Amino acid sequence: MSRLFSPAGESDFCSGGSLLTKPKEASLFLTLGRHFDLYFPPSCKRARVSAPIVLQGNQIRTEKKASIDVLPDECLFEILRRLPGGRDRSACACVSKRWLMLASNISSDEFCCSTASVPPNSNDCHGHHGEVSGLSADEDMEDGFLSRTLEGKKVNDVRLAAIAIGTSSQGGLGKLIVRGNNSTRGLTSLGFRAIARCCPSLKTLSISNLSSIGDEGLLEIANGCSQLEKLDLNRCSSLSDRALVALAKNCPNLTDINIDSCPNLGNESLQSIGQYCPNLRSIAIKDCPRVGDQGVASLVSQAGRFLSKLKLQSLDVTDVSLAVVGHYGLAMTDLILTNLCNVGERGFCVVGNGHGLQKLRSVAVTSCQGLTDLGLEALANGCPNLKQICLRKCVHLSDSGLLSFAKAAASVDKLQLEECHRITQRGFLGLLIICGETLKSLSLINCLGLKDFAMGSPRLSSCSSLRSLCVRNCLGFGNSSLAMLGRLCPKLQHIEVSGSPGITDAGLLPLLENCDSGLVKVNFSKCTNLSDKVASAVARMHGWTLEVLNLEGCRKVSDASLLKIAENCPLLNDLDVSMTAITDCGVAALAEANYLNLQILSLSGCSQVSTKCLPSLKKLGNSLSGLNIQRCNGISRSSVDFLVEQLWRCDILY
Amino acid sequence: MSSKKKVITLRSSDGEIFEVEEAVALEWLTIKPLVESGCTDAIPLPQVTGNILAKVIEYCKKHIGASESEDRKILYELESWDADFIKVDQGTLFDLIRAADYLTIKTLFEFTCQTVADTIKHKTIEEVRHIFRESNDFTPEEEKEIRGKSWWLQGL
Repeated sequence: MSRLFSPAGESDFCSGGSLLTKPKEASLFLTLGRHFDLYFPPSCKRARVSAPIVLQGNQIRTEKKASIDVLPDECLFEILRRLPGGRDRSACACVSKRWLMLASNISSDEFCCSTASVPPNSNDCHGHHGEVSGLSADEDMEDGFLSRTLEGKKVNDVRLAAIAIGTSSQGGLGKLIVRGNNSTRGLTSLGFRAIARCCPSLKTLSISNLSSIGDEGLLEIANGCSQLEKLDLNRCSSLSDRALVALAKNCPNLTDINIDSCPNLGNESLQSIGQYCPNLRSIAIKDCPRVGDQGVASLVSQAGRFLSKLKLQSLDVTDVSLAVVGHYGLAMTDLILTNLCNVGERGFCVVGNGHGLQKLRSVAVTSCQGLTDLGLEALANGCPNLKQICLRKCVHLSDSGLLSFAKAAASVDKLQLEECHRITQRGFLGLLIICGETLKSLSLINCLGLKDFAMGSPRLSSCSSLRSLCVRNCLGFGNSSLAMLGRLCPKLQHIEVSGSPGITDAGLLPLLENCDSGLVKVNFSKCTNLSDKVASAVARMHGWTLEVLNLEGCRKVSDASLLKIAENCPLLNDLDVSMTAITDCGVAALAEANYLNLQILSLSGCSQVSTKCLPSLKKLGNSLSGLNIQRCNGISRSSVDFLVEQLWRCDILY
Repeated sequence: MSSKKKVITLRSSDGEIFEVEEAVALEWLTIKPLVESGCTDAIPLPQVTGNILAKVIEYCKKHIGASESEDRKILYELESWDADFIKVDQGTLFDLIRAADYLTIKTLFEFTCQTVADTIKHKTIEEVRHIFRESNDFTPEEEKEIRGKSWWLQGL
């Protein structure tokens, strides 16, 4: 191969070819004309290129060969589709761009492989019958396990056709991802036609940012790739309902559909999907201004019996859509509603009152003004099997709504609240008390309404089920709240209290003492007022269970903590002490601990760590798979290079 | 076939006049309507030269009626006749394809296309480029994608 394709130095055989095809070069050596035939070693030439019928040696020598360019595309197409096997077809696709585009546009049923459609005189075919059938058997095993991604400037027809041809001879294309960008040019429906013709096994198609691609391209896909299961359309502004209707009609196996920012796709598309895709399981629709209640309603009313996941984001839908979801979403397990400005309180009330969402397990609502106290309670009433709920940016939600939700939702075990600023300590505490038997995981993120609170009465029943608690960036959260939590939640295993400068050792120590089942994951990052006391206490009290410890940005944490950790934490595999006061001694202590088995260590921004810790890091590196030493200015550049070279198994950030 | 054979006159692009039996001309779908309408003037064929038109007529005359024959001997003879007929240079072959395409003569078109396809068979990519004087206009990356891991293309 290399010999044949060496760019300049053509071999003996090819030199004849290059003279023929590049007359200018030839003229360097000889005057153009019949004489140049003298330069061909005749025997060699005849042996390599003489064809049984067309190319008789004598004629070649006396006449310049005609270029196949004289033939129009349809004639060349007819020739190519008469090739006997996959090998020859693939070889022809490699000849030139024109040949590739033609060869890739032949669908498998257009090949006349069988001798029936071939004139009787092509007896050549019989001679190689064994080989032909062998190859076709080879092609039959296409099951489409190959995956290809095309991005940016490479997105054009030729590349797509190349993928189509290249994969069709190797087991078939199963997954195709095409991501265009502003500089994407040269992609037309021809490229998709090639995919459609050559890749009938395609199961996943994801295209994004292809504003130039119109319906024709996807109509080709609809005709050729009927086994399509997953479809992802992102920012394809020229696509209209016509394309999606055709896809829905021709691809009954579609299970997952994602439509994002396609301004010309509207209700008609959704209606067809509901009508023609009986295997649909999941659909996400985002930012499509032409999608309204009519589309969502007809989709859900028809697909509700089998649709398990639905996501509606930034759509111009109203209470009507939610009412339909609540009534017909019989198989729905996951529901995600984001930024639906025109859905009011009534919408969420009817979702609950529809009594269709009996199987709903998970719901996430973000930026929906309609989710008020009343709406949330109704949702809980209508979804008896709700396990997980995530509420983000629900500005109208208050403590009383949260508490009535908690009373109604008997089976919720995971709750996340993000940027719900009207939620206060009262709601937080009430939740822990009401859901004390079921709630396993609670997260409060960026809830600024939360203040530090101290409740005198210690006669609270404990929240025995809570295993995981996360309070992140809630600035008002403080020591008193923590002390309360410690008494309330003795079974915690994962705790994150991060970004709360109000937390000090005095608040955390009682909590650590009260956790009697052993903490596994601990994250106190950015709690700037914590000291070695807490870190040592974690190591001492929970060393036998601790696996992950994050003390990032706890500026008062120093080597003393690392000494305790080295002594007490045999299971620890992930330690983050970025931006702390640790020094080389601490790192050395970690390295000397015999039974410590760290896999991930982050020391980024530790200014007191220096080149001296190199031997320690090298020793630790034996077990590490990840090491972060970014912004450790004390470690010299050459030391970093040394580490990178020595710890080749470890992924080092520097 | 009627005993009184009707003759159709054709004029090639270079002005040559040919006469063919109506039965032959009726196989040429492009001019069939003209023939059926009883046109008596010479039918102009501006895309076909005289020497090519002569070959086309020669082929069609031979094949009319014979292709459908059940007789193995006739078929065998026809086959070897075809093999001789198509021993032409590449330029002529392409002209025949274009003429057959233009005149819509199914048998000749299929036969000539198949002949070219047979030429391509079992050739390496470089050989095909050489034979048909196609130049490689792929970037190396594109070429790699098409060739992929196909074992049979590695050696071509």
